[in-house]
Amino acid sequence: MKVLSRFEIRRFLFFFARSVSQRKGRVVIASLSVMLAVAMVTALAGINSGIREKLGAELKAYGANIIVSPRNGDSIEAAALDKIRGIQHVEDASGQVLGKVFIGGYAIELIGLNIDRLKYSGWRFIGDRPAKRNEVLAGIDLRDALRLAPGKTLSLESNGGKADFIVSGFVEKGGPEDSSIIMSIEDAWELTGTNNVFSAILVRGEPGKLDGIARDIVRDVPAVAAKTLRQVASAEESLLSKMQLLMTLVTLIALFASTVSVASTVSANVFERKKEIGLMKALGGSRSQITLFYTTEAVIIGLSGGLSGFIAGYLSAQAISRGAFGSFIHLPQWMILLSLAMGLSIALTASHFPVRGAMRYDAAAILRGE
Amino acid sequence: MGSADEFIKLRCVSKEYATASALRGIDMVVEKGQWVSVVGPSGSGKSTLLNIMSGLDNPTSGQVVIDSTDITAMKEDEMARFRREKIGFVFQQSHLIPYLNAVENVMLAQYFHSIADEREAADSLERVGMGHRIDHKPSQLSGGEQQRICIARALINSPQILLADEPTGNLDRENTRKILELLNRLYSERQFTIILVTHDPFVAQWGRRTITMEDGKIIRDEYR
Repeated sequence: MKVLSRFEIRRFLFFFARSVSQRKGRVVIASLSVMLAVAMVTALAGINSGIREKLGAELKAYGANIIVSPRNGDSIEAAALDKIRGIQHVEDASGQVLGKVFIGGYAIELIGLNIDRLKYSGWRFIGDRPAKRNEVLAGIDLRDALRLAPGKTLSLESNGGKADFIVSGFVEKGGPEDSSIIMSIEDAWELTGTNNVFSAILVRGEPGKLDGIARDIVRDVPAVAAKTLRQVASAEESLLSKMQLLMTLVTLIALFASTVSVASTVSANVFERKKEIGLMKALGGSRSQITLFYTTEAVIIGLSGGLSGFIAGYLSAQAISRGAFGSFIHLPQWMILLSLAMGLSIALTASHFPVRGAMRYDAAAILRGE
Repeated sequence: MGSADEFIKLRCVSKEYATASALRGIDMVVEKGQWVSVVGPSGSGKSTLLNIMSGLDNPTSGQVVIDSTDITAMKEDEMARFRREKIGFVFQQSHLIPYLNAVENVMLAQYFHSIADEREAADSLERVGMGHRIDHKPSQLSGGEQQRICIARALINSPQILLADEPTGNLDRENTRKILELLNRLYSERQFTIILVTHDPFVAQWGRRTITMEDGKIIRDEYR
């Protein structure tokens, strides 16, 4: 194709603008189709890029993948916690005091743990978290059973004695914790009459290194057993893989659907303009001169759809990420170029076959009205 | 340049369709500057002949030579270039672009040929008596006015040949006469070659030569 002078480009744009202004609706619909596909791909790619990190963090909060328990007794010395935290590939470790307390003669499960760590867990809070000693959280099932309200005082009794605690709030996790009393380790130690010992230590180790970590724990910490939660570990990997596969499939389907949609819009457009194409041929328009009108239209559809798709996809990714992970996702800058390239590819691919077909129209027959 | 005696030369041109033969071995020579009327009943092959001369259609066999160039051997883009350089078209239906006004429709032919020049396009409309309607869209014009714009568009690039397929087929007698008078005036001024297909004897008589076709063959060739 010859290079157009500035004047010729102006003239081309003049006729092109006149032509497009007649079919604004169709152009907008085609752009929207491209936008939807690009938005979906951008959103999924954005979520995908952060999902391992984010979901990993969620699963980390969801629970440990190694449980360390005492081998020959009821408790583990508190000093073991620091040793375990120092072992290679251990991401986190926290001690727990488990026991029973009595409220009006009823036995309730007690969980003593580091309250600060709950901030990062997958627990849902209702009301305030304990801010000082002698404040506790109650599971929501316990709340319903005892009709508890924030600020209510509970008299808890255990082997170590009896004390009053104020309910600061409630927690929900979907497990036995929902019918338990949760308090700080220090309070639990005091109430149960134990000191500087844990019932268990929950360890979060790097997935794939769990067997090695368990061996190291048993080697470094005396009188403990370390059990890996293989199901948790393999479920994490399996979930991530399945999510990525699902996102890839959705992306491909979105791309295909968008391409078909744009192709049908361009086909309808080309069909409507059969007479115009025949006339252009009769006036001596070359293949490149005529296709330039459609290719330019496709470029505009692709770029506008790509850009608006990137914006919509970015906003969607942020909304999804905030809802699912409570944080924002960072999209790399090249993603905007990828979105534009994707929009262009969809529009040009979709218009290629209809335009090629249009060039085969029998101009003589069209102009005779056949 | 080819000889003026054989400006357009068809040699044994045939056109076969799946179910019928549109042209059967047409031999024909048109001199430069001739006005040739092609007449005949519907289905006699008149329009097919015109389309083959313009390169919009290809013959099944035979050769078409225009101005010493064998157009049947041309590739698509070569043919497009040849068409915009040498040929102007006027059809029975006006085939004006509905969203362009009169002057823009003329400029479109300029655009494909070389450079669209609005002043030149307006002058050409002036010459066909449409200088006062340059801003009007086709839907705001009568059939006769639309055909005048088509004539201005066909001649804007100074073609050597004007191919007209039933150019007055949709017009009443008065408008037909006006269009033919206009064509005749422009023909006298510029001396291009006209091949005009019609089934109307009144229109055919404006030509200096009349070729009569029937069943894909030339059955009569008369000079006036």
